[in-house]
Amino acid sequence: MSDRRIFITGMGALTAQGMGVPALARGLREGRVAIRAPQQPALAGVPAAAELDGFTLADALKSFPEGAGPLLDKARRLALRAPRPIECATFSALEAWLDAGLHAAPVPAERVGLVVAGSNLSLRLQHDTAKKFVANPEFIDPRYAMRFLDTDHVGILSEVLGIRGEGFTVGGASASGNVALLKAWQLLQLGEVDACLVVGPLADLSPMELRALHHLGALSPGGGREADQVCRPFDAGRDGFVLGQGTACVVLEREDSARGRGAPLHAELAGASLVLSASHSAAPDVAGEVAAMRNALARAGVAPEAVEYVNAHATASTAGDEAEVQALRDVFGGHLGRVWLNATKGLLGHCLFSAGVVECIATVLQLREGFLHRNANLREPLAQDCRFCGDAATGQSVGVALSNSFGFGGINTSVVIRRS
Amino acid sequence: MSTDLFQVISENILKVLPDVDARLITPERQLKELGANSIDRMEIVMGTMEDLGINVPVTELSQAKDIGSLLGIFQRHHAQR
Repeated sequence: MSDRRIFITGMGALTAQGMGVPALARGLREGRVAIRAPQQPALAGVPAAAELDGFTLADALKSFPEGAGPLLDKARRLALRAPRPIECATFSALEAWLDAGLHAAPVPAERVGLVVAGSNLSLRLQHDTAKKFVANPEFIDPRYAMRFLDTDHVGILSEVLGIRGEGFTVGGASASGNVALLKAWQLLQLGEVDACLVVGPLADLSPMELRALHHLGALSPGGGREADQVCRPFDAGRDGFVLGQGTACVVLEREDSARGRGAPLHAELAGASLVLSASHSAAPDVAGEVAAMRNALARAGVAPEAVEYVNAHATASTAGDEAEVQALRDVFGGHLGRVWLNATKGLLGHCLFSAGVVECIATVLQLREGFLHRNANLREPLAQDCRFCGDAATGQSVGVALSNSFGFGGINTSVVIRRS
Repeated sequence: MSTDLFQVISENILKVLPDVDARLITPERQLKELGANSIDRMEIVMGTMEDLGINVPVTELSQAKDIGSLLGIFQRHHAQR
């Protein structure tokens, strides 16, 4: 069990439910499915997606309070002409930073860390630049030399926010968000930093990645359904994931630092774990998933019987959801029927790199506000022994939750979140 | 034509440095004075060359001391197109 308590003191989110954490909370409570027929040219051919649209950083910066002035000036200078993932990440990071009160009651710059989730964050930029390069190699933007590196996120965000502690990107495929939460949690446990931003960036895929995912059978072909009914986590009719576009950021902070600054304690990140499956494949691995959940609970000092709610990975893939249910049976045994289960991806799509951070925030919102969001399109549950949330949000008060993320390449992760 | 070229340079400066007051962009000013770092300057130059459809060797560009002399180099290449 960890001896230092780590709290979530700031949250920022930009999802297909809208701009900011309040929009996400509202969307979850109302159970709004943000998935529809795609509008963006890069998504042509995809049957459904939860798109981010109508967002511009220039407009979004106007929504922040006056007190954030100098930060907003830096954001304008550094991020207004940056690629879309960085624009979106800047918004979420600012929202989380201000929510944590880091502008008003700062932590020394060298005691703040920054972990950015995901790898290959510039795929659409690379695809578009390649087309331009073939036409005329002379006019390659020199800044592309920095933009193609994932660490451009680290550079831009650290400069905007003045972060001088440890910082890096960490890849874990679809589990990247949870991997980043784990690494930040460990940095805080080690005492390397007092506060740490965890950023889950937008997965800005190009038509090439989308087509490959389609050929792999991972992406839902749509099945002739209306777009808002395509994503069906835990349903017998599920046939693959639906892409979600979203960015999220949380500030993790040691208890002494958070209390000393009078920061809000949204929830405790009580434990986290990553377990490999010794496999390069896309196939889920029950044993790895079980081990990830058990390790996270052990680190949090939480018995399986104390868990009341699981925010499942649940991408709506045929094999993945089945494996997760089996892993939950192994971890919880007879207690499974008392654990509420839901899948945020049914409302928001699969946000890939940021999914773990988005779902961490979704979990915190539900713990803090005393409700559990519905499972969209769950008509015929794949298991009868599980306690799936129904078709409407329930006013359920829960105190301890798990949030799972599993990625291609045998990367299994779980985090334990406890109500403050 | 020189007014048009100046306009193209100005637009590229503002694209790279969106917080700069457009009135400060004058031929006698250096890009550095407007807050452009070396990558910003390259980006402004590349963007302008792309818009004009010209390609100026780096050695020639390095001789430009201010926005006015940059404009002169671009004018010469643009006229020779």
